[in-house]
Amino acid sequence: MLSIGLLVVVLIAGGLVITKFLTSSLDYYCNVDEVGHKTGCEAGRRLRIQGVVDKGSIASNNGVTTFDISFNQVTVPVVYDSGEPGGLFQECIPVVVHGVMKAGVFEGDDVEVKHSNEYDAKNKNRIAKSTAEATTCSQSK
Amino acid sequence: MATPKTQITDSPAEYSDTKRAPLGRVRSTGTPFTRTIGIATIVSMATLAVFGLVLSPADVRQGDSVRILYIHVGTVWIAYVAFTVTAVSSAAYLWKRTRSLTWDRFAGASAEIGVLFMALTLFAGSLWGRLSWGKFWVWDARVTSTAFMFITYIGYLAVRGLGGSHQQRAKRSAVVALLAVLQIPLVHFSVKLWRGLHQDSSVADRTHVTLQGLMLFSLFVSLIAFSLLYLWLLIHRQRVLAMQDALDDKGLDYALQQRRDEGDL
Repeated sequence: MLSIGLLVVVLIAGGLVITKFLTSSLDYYCNVDEVGHKTGCEAGRRLRIQGVVDKGSIASNNGVTTFDISFNQVTVPVVYDSGEPGGLFQECIPVVVHGVMKAGVFEGDDVEVKHSNEYDAKNKNRIAKSTAEATTCSQSK
Repeated sequence: MATPKTQITDSPAEYSDTKRAPLGRVRSTGTPFTRTIGIATIVSMATLAVFGLVLSPADVRQGDSVRILYIHVGTVWIAYVAFTVTAVSSAAYLWKRTRSLTWDRFAGASAEIGVLFMALTLFAGSLWGRLSWGKFWVWDARVTSTAFMFITYIGYLAVRGLGGSHQQRAKRSAVVALLAVLQIPLVHFSVKLWRGLHQDSSVADRTHVTLQGLMLFSLFVSLIAFSLLYLWLLIHRQRVLAMQDALDDKGLDYALQQRRDEGDL
């Protein structure tokens, strides 16, 4: 009897997970350059957009963080009004922002940091890195 | 599970005699072989702790949170292996020439361990997600498909517990196991099939490995350590399941004997 109960719970849980997945669409985000160009990425609707945070673009004022994100040479300014984005948020890192596009500015209410699959020891290439540091992000991916 | 409870009150002394030694002289699930594996597991886990926490470097972007990798990847590796072993054992049970309940017990034991390790994967991944993504949980393809596979295997364990004879249990669950294992490639390639927040793989199925030096070596130690732990758990759990089945059979024999004795009155 315990097993039948467990099976019922499992079926319900499985259904919930699938529903959650399908309603959030299979692809998690639209790239910045696809907004308004790809189906599912229409500018008027609520979107998740992905791009790399531009170097030197992060500014914080009264709990509002503004920054620019770029992908494929297209840049979108983002206004995030829920304080400091968490995780590894920093310049030159790819992020996914949830929100709505309004008058060319993306009003975000959620920021998630998308770290890449590349790992490197912390202090190994310090010299090489610092010389490479310029006004743009050196994209490895 | 099929133990007739009423019989225990009928004659507790007799029943407890059969319960004490269900398999004759076998009372422990340990053997010199498992003890050797056990010691090797402890040593390799200690080695992993040293490499994972001390010798391996922090990541240039992620800092010390990268160390979660050695748990996250090691445990999911075992979950994949365990569910594959469950499927292979199930196939061996279903194939008439190799049919044996031992295969079924290996399948069940392996699935239990797989579920345990997948829970650890989700837990460690969730902590890592909080540190890197800024979120404990997101509904992207990798996270969702992993959660779904986890739930499926809890379902598999529930199917094993539905009752009936050992043979019924074995056949039913073997079919479920062969279907459930098809999720492994789906989960593994979910990061390539769909855009998500989860990273693409760094080592598996890649020509350009993006994890180097002591980090890669620590991951290697992790795979060895968790594999040894899996082997140790699998053998012991399979033996415990064999004893449980034997106990069920013994209980059934005892109940039948009781009925026959009643008839003789």
